[in-house]
Amino acid sequence: MIHNYLFLSIILFCLGIVGVISRRNVFTVFMSIELMLNAANLAFVAFSRIHQSMDGHVLAMMVMAVAAAEAALALAVVILLHKHKSKLDTNVFSLLKG
Amino acid sequence: MFADGLFLVFAVLAVLGAAGLILFRHPMNGAMSFVVTLIALAGLYALLSAKLIFALQLIVYAGAIMSLIVFIIMFLNIQPSDLPKEETKLLYIIGSMIAVFPIGMFLVKIVKSLPKSSTEIIGNNFGGVKQVGLLLFKDWLVPFEIVSILLLVSLIGAVILAGKREAVK
Repeated sequence: MIHNYLFLSIILFCLGIVGVISRRNVFTVFMSIELMLNAANLAFVAFSRIHQSMDGHVLAMMVMAVAAAEAALALAVVILLHKHKSKLDTNVFSLLKG
Repeated sequence: MFADGLFLVFAVLAVLGAAGLILFRHPMNGAMSFVVTLIALAGLYALLSAKLIFALQLIVYAGAIMSLIVFIIMFLNIQPSDLPKEETKLLYIIGSMIAVFPIGMFLVKIVKSLPKSSTEIIGNNFGGVKQVGLLLFKDWLVPFEIVSILLLVSLIGAVILAGKREAVK
């Protein structure tokens, strides 16, 4: 059944949100965001299978390109933060706190 | 059915990999278990007869993006003492699960209202390179060009952010 794929996508998305909320390691937070993007991709492909049109596949490709761009930028920021504070804890990075 | 069994295997692998990503303390272990999730998702795309996305998931996601992340994790040479102390991690995980649960149930209710449809593999080159490529360059040409500009911007941004500071001055 196609519903099982969508249920799996919901589970993966919720696990991604849990990872973003509960973890403090920068890398784990980043990979949780990637997990949420992947769950959205799975939903896109499942819906394009329901309607038997390939627009969902094109959108999944777009999401992959955006994820690649995001990975390049986010890892550059992580390297910069590690250079300044030599920590990976998100609680340490509070420069903008009033 | 053979495809149902495959779906079950891939689904369990994907959920276990995601749980490992959340639970492991060292980011390297998390990245490795996330690779398991990505490969299981590639199998699911193949079951949904999305051939091009299946290949791209393996090449771009599990190949390029994850190797970039693993490379950076190794590059920073993270010792266990560098990692944040997360004594209240389990408490936070349970709390955020309780917070996310209503959203998940809402989405499940939406999905249950959809009409049922089968997932048999369809032929006719559905999801093949030619079909998806034609669609991409006919109906989705403008988003495609915008994505190319986005990739260029992120390339320049990454070079400027992570490059040497002295060269800028």
